Amino acid sequence: MSQIQARFFTEDKRYVVDDVPFSIPAASEVQDLSNVINKLLEAKNGNKVDFDFLVRGQFLRTSLSTHMATEGISTVWILTGSYDKTARIWSTEGKPAMTVAGHTDVVKDVAWVKREGLTSLLLTASLDQTVLLWEWNSERNKVKARHCCRGHAGSVDTISVDPTGTKFCSGSWDKMLKIWSAVPTDEQDEIEEPADRPRKKQKTQQLGLTRTPLMTLSGHSEAVSSVLWCDSEEVCSASWDHTIRIWDVDTGGMKTTLTGSKVFNCISYSPLCRRLASGSTDRHIRLWDPRTKDGSLVLLSLTSHTGWVTAVKWAPSHAHQLVSGSLDNLVKLWDTRSCKAPLYDLAAHEDKVFCVDWTESGLMLSGGADNKLYTYRYSAQQAEA
Amino acid sequence: MKKAGGKTALKRSKEEDEEQNQIFNFNRKPADEDKDDDLSDSEDSVYSGLEDSGSDSEEEEGSDDDEEEGSDDDEEEGSDDNDDKMKEKKEGEVSEEKKKHEYEHDSSDEEDIRNTVGNIPMEWYKDFPHIGYNLDGKKIYKPIRNKDELDDFLDKMENPEYWRTVHDKQTGSDVVLSDDQVELVNRLQRGQFGDVNFNECEPMVEFFSSDVMIHPVTNRPADKRSFIPSLTEKEKVSKLVHAIKMGWIKPRRVEDDGRGRYYNLWASEDSSILARHKMHLPAPKIPLPGHHESYNPPPEYLFTDEERALWEQQDPADRKLPFVPRKYSSLRQVPAFSQFIHERFERCLDLYLCPRQRKMRVNVNPEDLIPQLPKPKDLQPFPTTRSLVYRGHSGLVRSISVSPSGQWLASGSDDGSVRFWEVCSSRCMKTVQVGGAVKSVAWNPNPSVCLLAVALDSVVLILSPSLADKQVILSSERLLSAQQEGEEPAEGNGSVVWSEAEGEELNQGLRLKIQHPKAVHQVVWHAKGDYLASVMPDNTSHLQVYIHQLSRRRSQNPFSRNKGLVQCISFHPIRPYFFVATQRSIRIYNLVKQEMTKKLQTNSKWISSMAVHPGGDHVICGSYDCKLSWFDLDLSTKPYKMLRHHKKAVRGVAYHRLYPLFASASDDGSVIVCHGTVYNDLLQNPLIVPVKVLRGHVMTHDLGVLDVTFHPTQPWVFSSGADATICLFT
Repeated sequence: MSQIQARFFTEDKRYVVDDVPFSIPAASEVQDLSNVINKLLEAKNGNKVDFDFLVRGQFLRTSLSTHMATEGISTVWILTGSYDKTARIWSTEGKPAMTVAGHTDVVKDVAWVKREGLTSLLLTASLDQTVLLWEWNSERNKVKARHCCRGHAGSVDTISVDPTGTKFCSGSWDKMLKIWSAVPTDEQDEIEEPADRPRKKQKTQQLGLTRTPLMTLSGHSEAVSSVLWCDSEEVCSASWDHTIRIWDVDTGGMKTTLTGSKVFNCISYSPLCRRLASGSTDRHIRLWDPRTKDGSLVLLSLTSHTGWVTAVKWAPSHAHQLVSGSLDNLVKLWDTRSCKAPLYDLAAHEDKVFCVDWTESGLMLSGGADNKLYTYRYSAQQAEA
Repeated sequence: MKKAGGKTALKRSKEEDEEQNQIFNFNRKPADEDKDDDLSDSEDSVYSGLEDSGSDSEEEEGSDDDEEEGSDDDEEEGSDDNDDKMKEKKEGEVSEEKKKHEYEHDSSDEEDIRNTVGNIPMEWYKDFPHIGYNLDGKKIYKPIRNKDELDDFLDKMENPEYWRTVHDKQTGSDVVLSDDQVELVNRLQRGQFGDVNFNECEPMVEFFSSDVMIHPVTNRPADKRSFIPSLTEKEKVSKLVHAIKMGWIKPRRVEDDGRGRYYNLWASEDSSILARHKMHLPAPKIPLPGHHESYNPPPEYLFTDEERALWEQQDPADRKLPFVPRKYSSLRQVPAFSQFIHERFERCLDLYLCPRQRKMRVNVNPEDLIPQLPKPKDLQPFPTTRSLVYRGHSGLVRSISVSPSGQWLASGSDDGSVRFWEVCSSRCMKTVQVGGAVKSVAWNPNPSVCLLAVALDSVVLILSPSLADKQVILSSERLLSAQQEGEEPAEGNGSVVWSEAEGEELNQGLRLKIQHPKAVHQVVWHAKGDYLASVMPDNTSHLQVYIHQLSRRRSQNPFSRNKGLVQCISFHPIRPYFFVATQRSIRIYNLVKQEMTKKLQTNSKWISSMAVHPGGDHVICGSYDCKLSWFDLDLSTKPYKMLRHHKKAVRGVAYHRLYPLFASASDDGSVIVCHGTVYNDLLQNPLIVPVKVLRGHVMTHDLGVLDVTFHPTQPWVFSSGADATICLFT
């Protein structure tokens, strides 16, 4: 985090600067900020003034980065999708920043595409068979639907954005995987509508420009429950037909099939250890090597949950840690080097846990059927990282 | 001089004689001494000097003897030494003979009862005229001695009896020996026994032999030491033991002859003896005596006159009792049983002739009787654990149905609502209030339409839950509205009214109402999704089943006769057959030919539910008497298998569409999942293995699980219970 978006306000009319965000190095201290203001005000009055800065009601005494760390101010936003048909953006302190409403049905999955300055692109997948591409301006706190991705014939259960942020893949109950472009454009893709569809209905439902898939990958015989990008050319998908399939995005062909014995609910891939973790409707988390050709090799199974494992996620900065959530209301932190028992049982939820995630800074998140989003900090991991 | 010399010589010779035959000298010692005196003259022989006896004047008797002896000697003088010896023996013989004589008179031990002086030296009486006293105490006088030596000599020369005449000292008289006595004397002198008849060479009887006899040889009681342990032996043994303990001596090793050296001849026959014991047939038992046999039976056991007459008339073989019961006042008066011998004979005949059959005991390992079923572990996958609970209803959930895609679950409850759940998250997506206890829900099996049939009260509702692709929703809407564009519905049967939902109901998803004349109990779809059938159980009319065609909005009653209270119905998944379960049987109708093809006998009291295998050749049926029957339609009209696993009434049964699984739900709160593989090979019977008992419902109002259904694609089973919840077991 080298640059920080900042705005400067003052009550004193003499030193007012334009109300636009500035990119400031995070390491800058009070003196550097003063210099920036003086530079801005050079046109108005020549003499230099030493400024003091209040950041959220606190005087800035150290560098910006350390101050943000100590005060817990972050620029990381959390995106959640909910069964109330909306998606929400939260700050890490738990303050709701934005509600993204537009779907006509339950939001099944959400994903950030990329953040460029103050504007972010985000995706929401819904039971209403569409994926919406939104543009969110964090500064003005405005959200705008850019594209409505149509093409699935079932509820879109999972989406995943490729590492470059230009494409995303969605998996649906209709057994299909579809690759879409994640780049917002201003023109609408042609869509072949059934002739007898009422025109007016279509108009009212339209939210954003319609987008059609770049590619459709079909091969699963049951609903696709989870999808992710292994790298920029490979998509991995887990399905209710007891298989995990790895697809080549360039050719659209299937590369490998890993067959399990139970329905897969979720998968996660760690580029650090190059392992695939899967959670299924039995209570095990299994680790796979996606590069095996025979596709039946289970490296390890982690067993401690007592219900379906609904979510697994590898730590972004740690090769051995993963977090899992289950229908038994528990979130567990695992280290693959101790496969017998989890490192921690995080028993905060009062109902089923449906999703877990990590932030870049090592914060763990979990959401569940009790309508709550919990964040967990793992201090040892912090210290290690 | 002569005497002295003779005496010494005599003594010497006497010693020699005594050495030879002492026996003879014991009793006759005094006599011998007399003789010694008498025979002192003769040098060469003991009795030769008879002439000298006369010189012994002091002793009258002795002289008498001497005289007689002298005569004897004289007779045989000049004969050899043997003769002398004979004489000597003869003398002993006299005393013996005397004794014998005495014994003839008297058996007492007394020597001579005629003279009572006893055994004294007779010379004590030599100065007296008498020689003793007789039994009366009178003196016995000595016989007048008139013989002198000459007379003696003359007597010796002339008297032929002289040699056998002996002098009795005690009486003082001469006795002539008889021939027998002489013979006896001769025998004794020859060293033979006195008794002629005595056989000295008789075989010896060995009393003390090595044989152990049952009776003791002697009557002596056994002495005490034979009863008490010997102390000396004990001492010896303890010494030996001590020595063995100390290692001073080593006990002899007992060689082990147990094996190898001897061949056990009967080793194999041992078992045959045992076998003979096993073959033992016990004799038939005699019946125990009853009151009839008693000598004093209670009066009811005694024969009345008629009974007695009857008994007498009857053939002995036909008689109930072989005797007439009689009463006696005491056991003393009971006479001998006249039939005893006959009865024993009959018994012997029984034992001898009675054919006795050996009961062959069949030794069957009980484990062999259990059929070889595969282990449940090998029959994976099947549901094992409760994963999700769908909560939201407030009344008992009577019926559940899963959408053909497996994404949605519909449930109908007594609280008057139909709820739609997302299977994977147990979230209730939609609630439709229908205003009445829902008896049955059924999702249209056609995946291209999305419709739900709901039976409540006397209405069947068709709901469009719009939980699918827009295309699907559209096509289902079209299916429902197809009739409107066509001609007016032909109301063939006036009792069923089709009507469309309006207003608020339309928003809830209600599309059609099919009003029935009676309360509808169950609704089922045909596999194609156009027809649905409803049941109105009514024992009194033939109007129990309706088949509705959705696209043409037509209803018809396929049956014109009442065959019993219809419990549940089902369409055949492939062929145009229709299953109707009445209380005790299942009838299969061919819808095309309009006839009954089969009637299945369930052997249960009251059928509650029925399910048809997706292949169509097998039917399971649950009943209120806790039974689950599996019918193989190709096999028989009787159940192929009856499963009695449930403790209470079976409420629902279901087949899985893809996996070889079936499940039954019961009032005991459990769902039992069984594996049921059906083979294409007609010769192979279905394999039925119970694999899992699933519990998760709470018993409410004595009701447990009310309905059970499988997920269409996964080996998961849903169950709805009286506790207002639905459980998903995976």
